[in-house]
Amino acid sequence: MFGHLWGLFFDTRQEWALIRSRSYTIGQLYFGFVLLVALIPPVCAVIGTTQIGWQVGAGTVVKLSLRSAIAIAVLYYLAMIVGVAGIGAMVHWMARTYGAEQPLSQCIGLAAFAGTPLFLVGLMQLYPVLWLNLLVGMAALGLNIRLLYIGVPVMMDIPPERGFLFASAILGLGLVALVAFLAGSAILWDFGLAPEFVAGAVTRPGA
Amino acid sequence: MQASNDTYDMNVVRQFSIMTIVWGLVGMAVGVLIAAQLAWPVLNFDLPWLTYSRLRPLHTNAVIFAFGGSALFATSYYCVQRTCHVRLFAPRLAQFTFWGWQLVIVLAAVTLPLGITSSKEYAELEWPIDILITAVWVSYAVVFFGTLATRRVRHIYVANWFFGAFILAVAMLHVVNSAALPVSMWKSYSAYAGVQDAMVQWWYGHNAVGFFLTAGFLGIMYYFIPKQAGRPVYSYRLSVVHFWALVFTYIWAGPHHLHYTALPDWAQSLGMVFSLILLAPSWGGMINGIMTLSGAWEKLRTDPVLRFLIVSVSFYGMSTFEGPMMAIKTVNALSHYTDWTIGHVHSGALGWVALISLGAMYYLIPKLFDRELYSLKLVEVHFWTATIGIVLYITAMWVAGIMQGLMWRAVNADGTLTYSFVESVQAMHPFYVIRFAGGALFLTGTVVMAYNLWKTVAGAQPATMTIPAAAPAH
Repeated sequence: MFGHLWGLFFDTRQEWALIRSRSYTIGQLYFGFVLLVALIPPVCAVIGTTQIGWQVGAGTVVKLSLRSAIAIAVLYYLAMIVGVAGIGAMVHWMARTYGAEQPLSQCIGLAAFAGTPLFLVGLMQLYPVLWLNLLVGMAALGLNIRLLYIGVPVMMDIPPERGFLFASAILGLGLVALVAFLAGSAILWDFGLAPEFVAGAVTRPGA
Repeated sequence: MQASNDTYDMNVVRQFSIMTIVWGLVGMAVGVLIAAQLAWPVLNFDLPWLTYSRLRPLHTNAVIFAFGGSALFATSYYCVQRTCHVRLFAPRLAQFTFWGWQLVIVLAAVTLPLGITSSKEYAELEWPIDILITAVWVSYAVVFFGTLATRRVRHIYVANWFFGAFILAVAMLHVVNSAALPVSMWKSYSAYAGVQDAMVQWWYGHNAVGFFLTAGFLGIMYYFIPKQAGRPVYSYRLSVVHFWALVFTYIWAGPHHLHYTALPDWAQSLGMVFSLILLAPSWGGMINGIMTLSGAWEKLRTDPVLRFLIVSVSFYGMSTFEGPMMAIKTVNALSHYTDWTIGHVHSGALGWVALISLGAMYYLIPKLFDRELYSLKLVEVHFWTATIGIVLYITAMWVAGIMQGLMWRAVNADGTLTYSFVESVQAMHPFYVIRFAGGALFLTGTVVMAYNLWKTVAGAQPATMTIPAAAPAH
């Protein structure tokens, strides 16, 4: 299933058609692709935040404690695998409005493969420089949106102009999911899952 | 007046439409300047009237009241005539609202940089200007409701309900919140003290969002989206239900601006609960707008104006989801006083309010001069620069805000703060540069629009619009 990656980036329309023709089951999608590719961001984040750390302005290097980084990464992972299924389910639910009749597995396939750039860009978290991560993340988001707009008409088997609206609705939904993720994190942080910072090499006076 | 009773009065609509574009350019340019000042403080030039603290209220007043206000005046005067099949009531008074409103804006542009301010957010103007605003607003109500009262169509179309609620609520909010004791020509003190003053201020502040920036613009949505799409509203019943739910719920949500302050805890919780309930009527409106557009599939390919409208409604849905989330006390404890709030405001202000106003102007201005748009290609250019600008702006502010929230509450094992405040300020620099770039892109799009509309109307004669002879059955 990872064989689709190259094609998705360089021959997008063809590759979507190929994915559609394979009619993967939800199990194949999850065990063959989602569960693995979703490991990239949390694993890289744990390594980046505990081993390398980051620096704010002229301050010292700050790292996360391993315990706190792992707890956050596990939730991060769960959020992603639930998120793919959730968006797939919402796509399935909205499909009738846009005149598409596709099984749930195709909708989850759309959500999973369209999200590929964001999973892969998780590699950047190995070396956490926030503004750089943001810029690269935005580029990945751009690719993500491109995959989505090309993928929707193919995977859902509808005319392109209807696909444009459907893809916009999915994008809106994605933004809402992102905001829910932000708010959810803020609530969890308050319930004891807050990141635990470890100041780096330089010890503060009096500490 | 030579105009007869069988044509609509589009004079004041034209005036306000043109000023919408002019004030949009001014307000957004000031916004880009102060965004640049936050990234590069040297741009203050050490001049008192160019400091951020004085220009920021100028920016908010210019985009909300000058740009947004002109768009609302123009569209409501247009919509109420067209849907009531009657000429504007008291056209002279309508002229007074135009010139009076422009005078208010000019006075704001003079007094705010001079440092004359009541210090109430979004109500900074001092008492003599507040009195002028009241006079203009009462005249606006007389013209609008007078037109409604003399209508020749029995039914009152739902867009007019939203415009009417916006006019009434803003009058009430402005008068109550601006009550003050003048001590000199340009200085006054609020009539309320302490936490009551704060509560009145945010009752005003949040309902300025709810009625000025939401109800009024929903009026625009309910008229211009069906018009541009050439389809009826998806569910008229939903539009009426969400109207009443929205006007009832919004008025209670203000205390969420005062979480963890001296405001009594029960009032904070009340504000939070009503903010959460508000999601339902907000999404009722969004769903109605999107579903109205959903049947116009074949038009989307050829009509970039329709894209402005659909994307604006999507941003409305997103920001009205984000708002209730941020009103949850636990989330607010992290997000308040950070740039997350600024990002939230701009996803509403740029994504919803500005895009739907600009979309409505693309519909309205060519019609008012009986011309076709000069270039659809340029509309498309505008659409993409604006959309990319918004996305850059809000993502930069999301990251900046979360980072500030985390840095401010981070403590070391021994209980000392991990970061000093100034470290968090320094950490914001790259995000402020990205935000500046996003804002500059949005402004660029508006410049493209101004050029496009200029080419559209240059040399054109104002169009005459005839009132249909007999009011058809609804």
